[in-house]
Amino acid sequence: MMTIQTRDRWSATLRFIALVIIVVIFFLPLVSMLVTSLKRMDELYRVPARVFPETPVWDNYVLAWTLVNFGKYLVNSIILTILYAVPAVMSSAFAGYAFSRFQVRESRAIFLVVLSTLMIPVMVTIMPLYMIMAKFQVTDQRGLWFVWGLAGIPFIIFLFRQFFSTIPASFEESARIDGAGRFRVFFSVMFPLVQTGLIVAAIFAFQWSWSEFLMPVLFLSDEKITLAVKVAMSYADQKENILYNVGMAGILYYTLPLVIVYFALQKRFVAGLLAGGLKG
Amino acid sequence: MAANARISASPLERHKRTSFYIFLAPWLIGFLLMQVVPIVWGFLISMSNRSAFPIAVRFVGLKNYIALFADAETLSSYWVSFVYTVLNTLIGVVTGFIFALLLDRELPGRGFFRTMLYFPYMIPLVAVGWIFRIFLERDTGFLNIVLVSLHIIPSGIPYMQNSPMGSILMLSFWQAGWSMIIFLGALSTVPRELYEVATIDGAGYGKRVRHIMLPLISPFIFFQLVMSFIYAMQAFIQPYILNPRPIRGNWVMTNPPPNDTFFVMSRAYYIITGQHKFAYGLAMLWVLFLVVLIFTILFVKFGGFWVYTESEERR
Repeated sequence: MMTIQTRDRWSATLRFIALVIIVVIFFLPLVSMLVTSLKRMDELYRVPARVFPETPVWDNYVLAWTLVNFGKYLVNSIILTILYAVPAVMSSAFAGYAFSRFQVRESRAIFLVVLSTLMIPVMVTIMPLYMIMAKFQVTDQRGLWFVWGLAGIPFIIFLFRQFFSTIPASFEESARIDGAGRFRVFFSVMFPLVQTGLIVAAIFAFQWSWSEFLMPVLFLSDEKITLAVKVAMSYADQKENILYNVGMAGILYYTLPLVIVYFALQKRFVAGLLAGGLKG
Repeated sequence: MAANARISASPLERHKRTSFYIFLAPWLIGFLLMQVVPIVWGFLISMSNRSAFPIAVRFVGLKNYIALFADAETLSSYWVSFVYTVLNTLIGVVTGFIFALLLDRELPGRGFFRTMLYFPYMIPLVAVGWIFRIFLERDTGFLNIVLVSLHIIPSGIPYMQNSPMGSILMLSFWQAGWSMIIFLGALSTVPRELYEVATIDGAGYGKRVRHIMLPLISPFIFFQLVMSFIYAMQAFIQPYILNPRPIRGNWVMTNPPPNDTFFVMSRAYYIITGQHKFAYGLAMLWVLFLVVLIFTILFVKFGGFWVYTESEERR
C-alpha cells in the first residue's frame, strides 16, 4: 500500500502535468496573435502555410500605430478611463462604507436595490439614454463617463462593504472623539485601511472602461472615440481588405496596458478578490 | 431591526441617517440618472411607434410586443441566446471548478498557474474576439496551420462556418478564470480537518469531493450560475466579430451575423442602430429584461433547494 506522502507526490506531479498542458493550450491563441502580427499578408495566404514567419515584419507594429491615428485614440481611452474609474471607485467606496457603518431601517432594502441592478441588461439603460441624448443633440459628451462612474459597480460596493465591516468600530470612534468630521474620519482612518479593496476596485474599473465598446460606439464622434471601437472595427487597406497582421499588432498594443497592470498588481489583486469578495 | 425602528427619532439615529445618505449620495445620483430615468423612458418608448426621427410619435400600447412574438426571426434570437447561455454557463462553471480543484492543494508553481489561467479574463472581449477569429480562420488561422503542418488534419477546417456557436463557445473555456477564482476562494473556506477525518474513515477522493466539498461550496456554485446566466444572456459583440461571413474593413458592426448566433442583444443593436426601429428594439430589450428577471427570481426561489446552509437563519 502506498504511503500518504508518495500518493501526495504522485497527485501533485499529475496535477502539475495537467496544468502545464492546459496553460500551453491556453497560450496558443496568444502565440497565434504574435505570429500573425509578424507575417506579411501574402505569407498568411501561402500554401502550404508555415507556422512561423520567414523574417519577422516589425513594420506591422509601426503600421498599427500610423494607419489609424493610434496615439489619439490611446489618449481618448486614457481620458475616459480616468473620467470613469475615479468616480466609480470613490462612489462604490462611499456606498460600501455607508452600508457597512450607518445601518438605518431602509439600508437593507436599498442594498437589495444595488444588488438587483445586476439583473438589468446594460442595453436596457444605455439605448434609451442614447435616444434621450440624441434627441437633445448632446451625445458627444465625455462627461457622461463621469456620471456613469457615479452609478458605481455593484460587485465593488459589495466588496467595500465587506472590507469596511472587518475594521473595528473603535478605530473611528477614537478619531471622532478627537473631533474629526465625517469625511476626515473616512479619508484619514478608514480609507487607508482598505487599500487591497482599492486595488481590486481600480483594476475592475480600469478593465471595464478600457474594454467598453457599446458606450463609445453609440455616444462618441470619431474625434473622441476609444481604442476599443477602433480596434474592433479592424484595420483595413484602401480596398477595405482586412489586414490581419497589422490588426493583431494593434490588438496587442490595445491589450498591453491591461496586461501590464495585471501582472504588476496580480498578487494583491487575487489576494483581495479571495479575501473580500467571498466571505459574505 | 425592530428595536432600531423604535429609537429612530433619537439624535444618534438621525446623525446616522444623515451620514448614510451623505455617503450614498454619489451612487444615488448616478443610479437615478444612468438607470432609473432611462429605464422608465425606454419602457414608455417601447409602447410607442418611435423611429430615429421623432415625427408623429404616438402611443401604440403593446403593439410592438405583439409584433415581436409574431416574428419568428426575433423569437429565434431568444432561443439562441438561451442555448448559448446554458452552454456557456456549464462550460464556465465546470472548467472553472476543475481548474480550482487542480490548484486547491499544494503544488509547485501554484501561483504561476493561477495567474496564467486567470490572465485571459483580463483581455477585453473585443480583443478576445479578434484573437479567436484569426486563430480559427480556415486558410490563415494559426490552429489550422499548426494542425496541418503536424499532419493531424489533411487540410484546413472552416471552424466558424461549420459551427458559429461552437467558435463563440470556445471563448467560454478561455475566460473560465473568473469562476476559477470564485471557486478557489470557496474551497479555501472548507476546513482541512474535514478531509482528514473523511480520509481516515476511508473516503476516497471522489467521495470527499461529492460529500464534503460540493455541499460546502454549493452557495458559491449557485452564485456563479446566477451571475453567469445574467451576463451570458447579454452577449452582444461576439457574434459580430466571430461572424462566419467574410467581413470587410469597417463593416464589422453593420454586417449582421447568421441567425444561428444572432443573440438578442446583437439583434436589438442591429434593429436600433441599423434599421432605426427604436420602439421595436426597446421592446425586444424589455422582453429580455423580463426573461432575466423571471429566471433569476425563480432560480433564487426554487433553484436554491440543493444549496447547503449551516443554519436556517442564513436563508
